[in-house]
Amino acid sequence: MLFIMLLMMINVVLDQSFKALSVHNILNKRMDEQFAEYTDTLKYLSLGNSHNCVNTYLLEKSFNYGSPSENYIQSYYKLKHILEHSGKKPEYLLLQADISTYGAKIADRYEYNSYWIKYIDYPELARIKNDRQVLTKWLEGKFFSYAGNYKDVQLSIVYRIKIKTLEMHNGFRPHRDYRNFAEEPNRQQLAWDKAHLFSTPGVYFDPTIKAYFKKILQLCEDNGIKVYLIRYPVSQEFYTEETKIVPAGKLYPEVERIASDYSSYLGTLDYHNLFFEHPEYFFDPDHLNIKGSDLFTLKLADDLRLLSR
Amino acid sequence: MLFNSLEYLLFLPLVVILYFTFPAKWRWLLLLVASYIFYMSWKMEYVILIAFTTLVDYLVALKIGAQTVKRKKKFWLILSLVINLGMLAGFKYLNFFADTVNMFFNATGASPPFSLYKILLPVGISFYIFQSLSYTIDVYRGYKKPETHLGKFALYVSFFPQLVAGPIERSTSLLPQIHQPLEFDEARLVSGLKLMLWGFFKKLVIADRLGMFVSYIYENPGQHNGIPVILATMLFAFQLYCDFSGYTDIARGSARLMGYDLMINFNRPLIARSLRDFWNRWHISLTTWFRDYVLYSLPYIHQKKVITWKVHRNLVITFLLMGFWHGAAWTFIIFGLFHGLMLVLEAVAERPVALIYERTGLSRFPKIKNGLGIFYTFTTLTFSLFFFRANSLTDSDLLMLKAFDFSNTTASIRLLLRNNELIFGILMIAVLLLVEQYHDRHNLIQKIASKPLALRWSVYIGFVFFILLFGVLHNQKFIYFQF
Repeated sequence: MLFIMLLMMINVVLDQSFKALSVHNILNKRMDEQFAEYTDTLKYLSLGNSHNCVNTYLLEKSFNYGSPSENYIQSYYKLKHILEHSGKKPEYLLLQADISTYGAKIADRYEYNSYWIKYIDYPELARIKNDRQVLTKWLEGKFFSYAGNYKDVQLSIVYRIKIKTLEMHNGFRPHRDYRNFAEEPNRQQLAWDKAHLFSTPGVYFDPTIKAYFKKILQLCEDNGIKVYLIRYPVSQEFYTEETKIVPAGKLYPEVERIASDYSSYLGTLDYHNLFFEHPEYFFDPDHLNIKGSDLFTLKLADDLRLLSR
Repeated sequence: MLFNSLEYLLFLPLVVILYFTFPAKWRWLLLLVASYIFYMSWKMEYVILIAFTTLVDYLVALKIGAQTVKRKKKFWLILSLVINLGMLAGFKYLNFFADTVNMFFNATGASPPFSLYKILLPVGISFYIFQSLSYTIDVYRGYKKPETHLGKFALYVSFFPQLVAGPIERSTSLLPQIHQPLEFDEARLVSGLKLMLWGFFKKLVIADRLGMFVSYIYENPGQHNGIPVILATMLFAFQLYCDFSGYTDIARGSARLMGYDLMINFNRPLIARSLRDFWNRWHISLTTWFRDYVLYSLPYIHQKKVITWKVHRNLVITFLLMGFWHGAAWTFIIFGLFHGLMLVLEAVAERPVALIYERTGLSRFPKIKNGLGIFYTFTTLTFSLFFFRANSLTDSDLLMLKAFDFSNTTASIRLLLRNNELIFGILMIAVLLLVEQYHDRHNLIQKIASKPLALRWSVYIGFVFFILLFGVLHNQKFIYFQF
């Protein structure tokens, strides 16, 4: 009995330490704090994962609420939480709609549950996904945040050594810049690796992702929020590899067809090939670096200005 | 309900607690119910199959026991063989046979005669059918008296810790234990937990981590070449070992919590000095099954003289069948055939090799000789795994070709060195080998147990949290569940 109690005590210490020290938890919490403190008019709210590179210094009245590895499931619950609890409502939602957003692998990514536990309704998710294992993610987030998260520990150390400052402005954090994709000796192989990390042949539009995509659009429609789907810039190598796995010709029309059913949907802004000729604007195959995200945001801001006229 | 799932970690303690609170007389019933619940957690309908196998072999064994005429005994045995192997063939091999015939017809330009059916392989069918069959054969051979208690026999066939992937227990070992349930023994409980912990380390920290890299190469056979392909195949040997022996440790540990001893299934096979040595150490419950019920049943004596070529032929047949047991695919058949032929080659070459060792003076350096043996065995095993792991013969051919294409080696190595998971996995293999080596010589568990309480507990607690932190907790299936 004493042994079990000791195990439980150590578990609490490790769980709390991880929650307090993990770099992703720190960043996500800071983002929440900044959102709570945000008092300006919220014209643009962008949601999505780390490919979301909207620089909020350059896009006025915007908040970048994208979290690492965020999928539509998480985006939906976060948006729902914002609308129900924060008293803030964006005019436009900039929703990530990359080719890699819709696959089965993305639907199965449940990382950083200790952060997401306050947003996600796990029983509802388990029901929609028809997967009881989802409930263990709740347990993990609540009591065992560190379990299996050795990568986050490692990343936390790397971030502190290589990035040092964890600067953030209205949710936007300048991307890692200690590497440049243009200098990689085997760009195609790196792109292949990354593409296979996100996508898998066969299921290009996961049913759970599809369900939550509809839920996001419905939520926006119910709350009078206009939606732009954004395809963020990726390297040419990455897109080539992705389209070998995902049939873009089938996926994009299907996404478009679903979105068109909702009056909240305004259109898709497609920047996937914006920097095909500029690998130097990328940190890795699918993440822009600081210069890349600045140039992209300027273009996005211009386009949004034109569209809102 | 996987061993590495939360459900099992709740199910097992509940069963153990109930087991020791139940009257000894009824414990078999509790375990039987628990075993059926465990099996039904995969797919409820397949419980009918295990119940049917149980009933058939229970009745057949009683019939065999009641007969005095050998011919009649044989009839009942054949009936059991036909029913059990027929079920196995129907669920596991039907599509393979149909597909093979279709391929032949396609090649000749004729339209294929069979349509393929979508059959989901019942979990553990190859294991429990073999376990049940071994009982009927033992009864037929007179090694075992027929079991009269249907419930206890049903528990023997379905005992949950070893139901889905073995060890394939013999009735002579497990049934007597079911008849004599043990009282609660703290030492056994602790020892069972330690064994389970070691199993979880092998599965979650090593096998599932290596599995990510191996899948990355093997699921995309045309994409990689040279060192990554060779490394993935070598690491697959460790993945397979850690996955399966990890499963066995958890199974044996779970059974030990309730006082049952399951047989040892692995004995450090990756340090085997010959393929013969390897098969004496790897999946022991299966290899001894094939030895006792297939190899020894094949004729090899003529006029009271052992015919060497027949012994060799039998070996090849047995290994061919053992390969086929693993799965309904040509890759497994070739895997089995390759091992059978290599074992024959080893037997033929035994004397010439010994002579070479003698002449070169290497026989005076046993460490070098053993090292060469381990190198040969591991290399041969790794080569055969090209077939075992690949999804098809086309894939295995492609991977073998790619393995010897060393273009872009520098870039490949650079990418491999950036793969922290891979490096950590290899480091953990080194830890595993060192711990196994040390345990073999000094009994590590006993050594830790003899340390002061604070130190002992620190080791156990540290190990638990090490697994929790560094384990790959994605509920990855055990490789042998598919067989």
